[in-house]
Amino acid sequence: MNSAARRLVSKVCGLFRQQKAESEFDGEMQVHLQLLTEKFIRQGMDPEGADSAARRQFGNTTLLQQRHRESRTFLSFSAVFQDLRYGVRVLGKSPGFTAIAGASLALAIGANTTIFSVAKSFLYDRLNVPHAEQLRMLYWQSSGHSAVHSMWGEFDSSPGGGSKSSSFSYPVYRQLSAHNEVMQDLFASQGDGMNATIHGTARRVQAEMISGNYYSGLNVRPQLGRPIQPSDETLQGAGAVVVISEGIWERDFGRSPSVLGQTITLNQTAMTIVGVNPRGFTSADDSQVSPDVFIPLSMQPVVDPKGKKSYLEDPEIWWVKIMGRVKPGVVDSQTEAVLSSQLQAAVRGTMSVKPGETIPRLLISDGSRGNHISENGFQKPAFVLMTLSGLVLLLACTNIANLMLARGAQRQREMSVRLALGAGRARILRQLLTESLLLAAVGGLAGLLLGYLGRNAIPKLLTNAWDTSEPNVHFDWRVFGFTAAVTIATGLLFGVAPAWSAARSEVSSSLKESARTATRRREGMSGKSIVAFQIALSTLLVVGAGLFLRTLFALRSVDAGFRTDHLILFSINPPPSSYANGKDVQLHARLEEDLAAIPGVEAVTAASVAYIGNSMTNEVFLPPGERFDESKQQAEDLNTVGNSFFTTMGIPIVAGRAFEAQDTATSAKVAILNQSLAGKRFPNVNPIGKEFRAGYGPEALVARIVGICADTRYANLRDEPPPQFFLLYRQQSDVGGLTYALRTRFEPAALASALRAAVRKVDLDLPIVDIRTQQDQIDSTMQTERIFASLTTGFGLLALGLACVGIYGIMAYSVANRRNEIGIRLALGAQPGQVQRMILRESTWLAAAGIVAGVGATLLLTRIVKSMLYGIQPYDLPTVAAGVAILLVVALAAGWIPARRAAQVQPMEALRHE
Amino acid sequence: MQNSPIGNLIWTLHRSSAIFFAVAKGATVSIDKSEVLQGTLDLMILKTLHALGPLHGFGIARRIEQVSEDVLTLNEGTVYTSLLRLQQQGWIDSEWGTSENNRRARFYSITRRGQKQLAVETENWDRISGVIGRVLRLEGGKQL
Repeated sequence: MNSAARRLVSKVCGLFRQQKAESEFDGEMQVHLQLLTEKFIRQGMDPEGADSAARRQFGNTTLLQQRHRESRTFLSFSAVFQDLRYGVRVLGKSPGFTAIAGASLALAIGANTTIFSVAKSFLYDRLNVPHAEQLRMLYWQSSGHSAVHSMWGEFDSSPGGGSKSSSFSYPVYRQLSAHNEVMQDLFASQGDGMNATIHGTARRVQAEMISGNYYSGLNVRPQLGRPIQPSDETLQGAGAVVVISEGIWERDFGRSPSVLGQTITLNQTAMTIVGVNPRGFTSADDSQVSPDVFIPLSMQPVVDPKGKKSYLEDPEIWWVKIMGRVKPGVVDSQTEAVLSSQLQAAVRGTMSVKPGETIPRLLISDGSRGNHISENGFQKPAFVLMTLSGLVLLLACTNIANLMLARGAQRQREMSVRLALGAGRARILRQLLTESLLLAAVGGLAGLLLGYLGRNAIPKLLTNAWDTSEPNVHFDWRVFGFTAAVTIATGLLFGVAPAWSAARSEVSSSLKESARTATRRREGMSGKSIVAFQIALSTLLVVGAGLFLRTLFALRSVDAGFRTDHLILFSINPPPSSYANGKDVQLHARLEEDLAAIPGVEAVTAASVAYIGNSMTNEVFLPPGERFDESKQQAEDLNTVGNSFFTTMGIPIVAGRAFEAQDTATSAKVAILNQSLAGKRFPNVNPIGKEFRAGYGPEALVARIVGICADTRYANLRDEPPPQFFLLYRQQSDVGGLTYALRTRFEPAALASALRAAVRKVDLDLPIVDIRTQQDQIDSTMQTERIFASLTTGFGLLALGLACVGIYGIMAYSVANRRNEIGIRLALGAQPGQVQRMILRESTWLAAAGIVAGVGATLLLTRIVKSMLYGIQPYDLPTVAAGVAILLVVALAAGWIPARRAAQVQPMEALRHE
Repeated sequence: MQNSPIGNLIWTLHRSSAIFFAVAKGATVSIDKSEVLQGTLDLMILKTLHALGPLHGFGIARRIEQVSEDVLTLNEGTVYTSLLRLQQQGWIDSEWGTSENNRRARFYSITRRGQKQLAVETENWDRISGVIGRVLRLEGGKQL
């Protein structure tokens, strides 16, 4: 330890027991003085003379005390307190400056903390399990014809014809797991929506079906009860146990410990609650949203049956996701090689691979953030948002820098006076540092509050209006620390820099008029370039906001092709176990009738696809004479609908007829095409009366075309209306869940209880899922656009405000500085109007320079967001022009007051002023 | 790398900011007499404690007075500033005890680190004063 460090340590120690040290030192001095006095008395002085001689020889005790106090520890409390008090007074004296600087800091810190936190949690948050970094997810990649044909899960087909997915068949999982030697336990899971009845209330829940070693593999313990264990998952159809999420425990059981042993019904199967997940656990799948219940995979054939046989035995359907932890000492490439060859064996052992089909290659990738094969969908928007908020942070920092610089320059004279009166330069620096820190503390606290409140606002934008799941976005202290550090460091740097230069300059030179003007002009220049930079940034943000706003409006004004108003949507998903063999079709037919009878309901239809909801189904469509060819793209979008679909939705029939009551389950199968499909697959032919085949093989359905309807948008508003055909669900053998559309004048909330009652009359356990209006649903598909429009508008307004403050500040400062010059001009005969124009011209030039730079940057940068725009180009002229106009107006307005002030300068007063 | 021990004594934190500014300004650093004295005072106190064993502040002041034969006049209070500094460096230690006339007083004693420091500084002092002496003699010779 060197001596500087030693001194520091002892000073830190000196922070404590200051009082004791002080009184001890007092005593020491007293003893010394007494001894010295006694010595003088012994030498023959009279007591009084001895006392004063001793004091003389000892020196100034008060000064010594003070010096000791200062060197014993860092700063004496009184000195800091004095600085603070002075700082508060100085800030209080210019409330405008304090408010603007504090608000800039608060906005920058608050807004950026919120946005960075959200983006960070979506992009980088790890699963809330111990050592998430050890987790790997398995996925496969195939080129050409894959041996895998049926999948349930994430699937990504690359343009080259290959595909990749993280879904595996259960038999393959079993084999991989049994022979696994390169990773720790492999565990499997798959999530699905299910109907749950808890305390007699039916509702839709998200369930995660998991292998028995899932909890041990993730190393997670329930906060109550036990996890799902391997013994729960040994026999197919056995293991009716469930671990519930903390959310369900809290909402439905009031955190009662007696929840263990109670039963809930999942798709008509009674399941016993054995555990409650720990707080913050969100499954191995996703770090944001937690499923509501976790059940053993072995229950799939009972609780969630699909298809003709148990998925646990079916080697054709690939559906479980596999994860595991790395084994120490085994590198990923080694693991991939071994697992890949095991996959080959497992596929060959479980399913028949046809000639020409390839067996996929197994790959592993990082599973610490959950099981996703692609995150591109969110990555780009989050990146753009982070960039934008980074720009706002930069803007706020420049604003603070500008304010502090201007203020520092203004106070240069004060500093010079204080220097001349004998203040130490360190003392002045310390004072300014204290003031800057005080300001930073005020802004930082306000920012903390804003960021803390904001953490709830943004996640709300990210979820649907009717969706109850809460994203797991936390207030992130590290992010807050980062933004606070950046802004406060800026404040300190630019707060102290002018003081620094003031302290360096000779006392006399800054008190002298001429020297002062020279230095100030230089500072004025740097202030102006900062403002120009601010305006450039604002231009970028304002034009960006304009582009996203126009995109949102363009999407809003898209004609969907059907009447989107006064439509209420909800879904009914009959569980296959109790509605097998076409009973589901009868259920829907009965429900349609019952719902139509509710007073206030004008029309009802069920449909397999709810429009503008990002969902779609398609089916091979074969006009007469065309044969199925796997190499050709023959599938067309399909919607299986109720008889009154076209009237309910308000889709016009342009030729032939709509579905009618005469079309029943037993009558001849009928279909309707939209205009696009008719034009595409029946060019130059009238399709009405023709028959086509939907699907291929023995399950193909033959239907006669009875009408042609107008085009409608399908999965979203962005894409042009696709070719589509419509079948009747009544004429299908089974349909599963359907989405109902009700045309009514009532709000969903007003109708909900009547709807529930109607459904309960038919089946007590059947929940109504996701009641929402068609407009809600459309809005939810425009989530990204809406978030972008609202956030970028916010950014743009913030930027405008900051730029406005910047221009006003710099012009006001420049006018105040040039009072003398303006006074002379006026005295020499300049008209007030001329002076005003001069100042305005200056601020306009400043703005123009910034705007030109900003437009250049905008044109370069907006290309990145091209794919996120709709209906306009990134260099959309009206938007850019509007942005430029707004900024010019703002610049003029901000320059107006200083210009007015300049024109009102009284020549005599200004000249006498100095 | 450390500064030379003499420098270490002179450049105390108390004065460092002023020196810093002086350097930043580009002006020559003028070290007033008391500063040199302060540095030497530290050395003298160390030596005194080394030679006489534990002493209180009054005793140290008397010893320096005695040795300097009234060439150095100092405010005796500065002895305490020096003592605090030396203690912060860990070169001396202190303990409460009873003085002559039964007064409670703080007795200072040199530590092992202080001994080492004293050796280093004594050597340094000898070397530098030797150099300065030679330089002064050299200049004197030239003038003649």
